[in-house]
Amino acid sequence: MAVNSARLPEAAAGRAHSCSTCAFTNLCRNDGIDENVVAQVEALLVDETSQYAEGQHIFREGDPFDSIAAVRGGTVKTYVLDREGREQVLGFHLPGEVVGLNAIHSQSFPCNALALEPVVLCRFSFRRMSELAALIPDLQSRLFRLLSEDIGKAALLSGDFSADERMAAFLLSLSRRYARRGFSPTRFNLTMPRTDIANYLRLAPETVSRVLRRFRDDGITQIDRRDLRLLDIGRLESLALPVLRH
Amino acid sequence: MIAVPTFDAELLRRYDRPGPRYTSYPTAPQFRPGFDGHDLERAARDSNDDPIPQRLSLYVHVPFCVSPCFYCGCNRVITRDFSRSAPYVNRLVREAGLLAPLFDRDREVVQLHFGGGTPNFLSPDQLTEVIESLGQHFSFSRDPGRDFSIELDPRTVGPGAIAQLARAGLNRASLGVQDFDPEVQRAVNRIQTEAETLEVIAACRDSGFRSVNVDLIYGLPRQTRDGFARTLDRIVEVRPDRLAVYSYAHLPDLFKAQRQIDEADLPAPEDKLALLALAIERLTAAGYVYVGMDHFALPDDDLARAQSRGDLHRNFMGYTTHANCDLVGLGVSSISHIGATYSQNPRELPAWEAAIDAGRLPVWRGLRLDADDLLRADVIQRLICQGEVDMAAVEDRHGIDFQTYFAPDLARLAELSGDRLVEIDQGLIRATSRGRLLLRIICACFDRYLQQPARMPARYSRAV
Repeated sequence: MAVNSARLPEAAAGRAHSCSTCAFTNLCRNDGIDENVVAQVEALLVDETSQYAEGQHIFREGDPFDSIAAVRGGTVKTYVLDREGREQVLGFHLPGEVVGLNAIHSQSFPCNALALEPVVLCRFSFRRMSELAALIPDLQSRLFRLLSEDIGKAALLSGDFSADERMAAFLLSLSRRYARRGFSPTRFNLTMPRTDIANYLRLAPETVSRVLRRFRDDGITQIDRRDLRLLDIGRLESLALPVLRH
Repeated sequence: MIAVPTFDAELLRRYDRPGPRYTSYPTAPQFRPGFDGHDLERAARDSNDDPIPQRLSLYVHVPFCVSPCFYCGCNRVITRDFSRSAPYVNRLVREAGLLAPLFDRDREVVQLHFGGGTPNFLSPDQLTEVIESLGQHFSFSRDPGRDFSIELDPRTVGPGAIAQLARAGLNRASLGVQDFDPEVQRAVNRIQTEAETLEVIAACRDSGFRSVNVDLIYGLPRQTRDGFARTLDRIVEVRPDRLAVYSYAHLPDLFKAQRQIDEADLPAPEDKLALLALAIERLTAAGYVYVGMDHFALPDDDLARAQSRGDLHRNFMGYTTHANCDLVGLGVSSISHIGATYSQNPRELPAWEAAIDAGRLPVWRGLRLDADDLLRADVIQRLICQGEVDMAAVEDRHGIDFQTYFAPDLARLAELSGDRLVEIDQGLIRATSRGRLLLRIICACFDRYLQQPARMPARYSRAV
């Protein structure tokens, strides 16, 4: 959140680095925002870091919506349960990404959010966002931009795509999102369980493994348990083309 | 590519000190009782969550033997009461029922091994029952390249039983021979004629077993060069696909049966070394490839081929071609290796039985590996299987700076490179031909637990 670490007290300075990759940073940094404003934004943080253990819920469907959270470390899964109680994975939120944005138009969270590994979150009080709006003139359009990024992710899944196409698009999406936050686009951990990947991509878990094994054998990726490397982005891109064009 | 080992008696004598055999790292003495069935369940769940879950390797321990071989350090129960088999088999089946549901069904079993004790203490029908039950609980691979193996005691198994075991799906056999010399056989309480051994080898081949391994031991009481040479010649004539030539480790404080051995009968250290030299000489002359540690294989055997591909691995069953399997152990004292964990069943039958009867996973102790353990396990695994480790590749896999991280280890290694056991060249740490027989000493340089003097265990056998 804070961008000028020199202006922050000692304890907060360490935070500045990871904040520089946060999606929210774009709300308050650059674009001629007054430095004093940044300090006030800082003050508007609620609960500014909360920690969650692996398997712990961050919010559940129906919980009152009063804050937006950005992932500082770890991976968050969002999901809903259908009428039969079956889980449907909506998405994965990586470090620097925002969770709960789809609640922005309602009073309560429309989905569940679960920490897939130890997670650290920064929370922003939504109620006090209006105070922020006074400080940052085009806050609303900035929020809309974040929101559309979020919706863009979901489009990946609609449409009639093959398993290979879905998987390629999924890996590319992770790669691009990691790159956007300053992480390596070609080597990262697949932090989500196989069953969640399968659920998200609407594939059987065996199919997830089969496709990944094929990618590995074809030299597109290299994989050692969760440690994934993308060796041939070009081939992933051409495989993912129908999905991305969609 | 692995160098043919050079035999240097003076060097071997100097480095003949106790050290682990690295069928695992960390080694079993590091396992702790705090690790329980819930930890095992969690490890299995985590391993299912991998994007490509590892395939499975099953180990089944059968502890019973009809008579004690005095050299043996294995976990076993001496009995002639064959009625003990049936309840053991029943509990194995129940253990499979407890373990199998922890693993996703698409995780195929590509390796199965029966060890002991004496697996063929169980009747062929009982072994078949265990295999069939495992096949129902787990998903057996249909790949003909799967390794389903059993240790056989040639004294107590006949051609009919072998044919039945082959029909049950077993395709590799490992035979204990040790030495044909009758003097030695008497001194170790294992009388086993050449004829019955050769018959069993022939029966395995006739029944369609893909490969036969023979175990020999050097350093046994009353063993002589001439006697062992005759054993080697006789064995080489029938050309088993693999040979293991183990060093006898005399640790009577640890292994009760060994107290039956008269220390005066043991070969002097230089005679023991001469036996090793003899084995290496005869086996390499006969065309066997030295795979590493105690193992030799014919050049077209899977092990030798895997090694030249850089694909060889090592686990509790010794060397294996099945890289990256999660290992699931069944039976008393067996060890599992699932994800980044090791766990072991109770060593005593009553404790194992009680857990199974209560429907609990019979985990006695174990260990969750941390990042340092995983890193060192990787280095040791590569040294012991390939005889070399690529430092840049390790840095890349683990995100460390090798020289900095391993500074104390490399300092320890310097003594060995002074003796030209290892060379460090172009980013590779490589065992030289002189170091090939001392791989465990080289690996020990990277063993963090050995550097804690208080823990330096007297329970490891010597290097040669």
